[in-house]
Amino acid sequence: MPTVRLRAAAEYPSSAQKLFALSSAWFNHEFAEPPAMSRVMAWDSGFGTPHGRAMKRAMAPGEFTRGEKEMVAAAVSGVNACEY
Amino acid sequence: MAGDAVWYEAAQVVGITNALNVAASALDVVGAVDEAAAPPETHALFAEIRDFYQCADVPASFRCIAHDAAYAADVWATTRHAFADHRLARRFKEALAFAVSVTSRSASGAALHLSQMRRFGVGPRGVMEIFGVTQMFSSYTKIADTLQLEPDMGEIAPADPSPAPDDAAP
Repeated sequence: MPTVRLRAAAEYPSSAQKLFALSSAWFNHEFAEPPAMSRVMAWDSGFGTPHGRAMKRAMAPGEFTRGEKEMVAAAVSGVNACEY
Repeated sequence: MAGDAVWYEAAQVVGITNALNVAASALDVVGAVDEAAAPPETHALFAEIRDFYQCADVPASFRCIAHDAAYAADVWATTRHAFADHRLARRFKEALAFAVSVTSRSASGAALHLSQMRRFGVGPRGVMEIFGVTQMFSSYTKIADTLQLEPDMGEIAPADPSPAPDDAAP
């Protein structure tokens, strides 16, 4: 069970709704509720916005494809023993 | 990266890389095999490893486990299979192993796989790409763990209905 109460998207201000729309576009998936991590990142835009930008820069296609980078991310998550 | 086969292949790389890094980290404790005094099968094994990596020094992990030549040969066969070009290319597998090594703080593993990435044509930008992904997801994972977030993105990827391959070994 999460340490914090994850707020529904409707509980966030309008500025966060744009972040949730970007999240859907990023995953190319319509979520019933934005993923928990998106809602965590939207809690404090001073942290979440630059963190999200850094992630998108890192994940953008370059010498490696987005798909390859998603696989690297999964491996890193596995090594970190992160179930999420 | 659709279908399960590439993920099985990636998991092999991640698993054996971690295993090799674990052995390398114990080199100071266990000690490297004395190559000059080693049996012929160890010389043959080391020659194959040097050829695979195109390097003069046998990676620390193999110098450490070569005290048991038969065991080292099996680990090497596993490693060679995992890193060979199949559905995923060796170039990408070395990048994956670099990410795993950086994440698990294996300096020798990171150095080995960084050198191999470069050998297979990955430039400074590509190295930074893998480094960036590794660093950012080392952040996301710890945020998720601290807040004990539960997985909620499993629905994105459809299940692969294909059977196990014909060459599945027991």
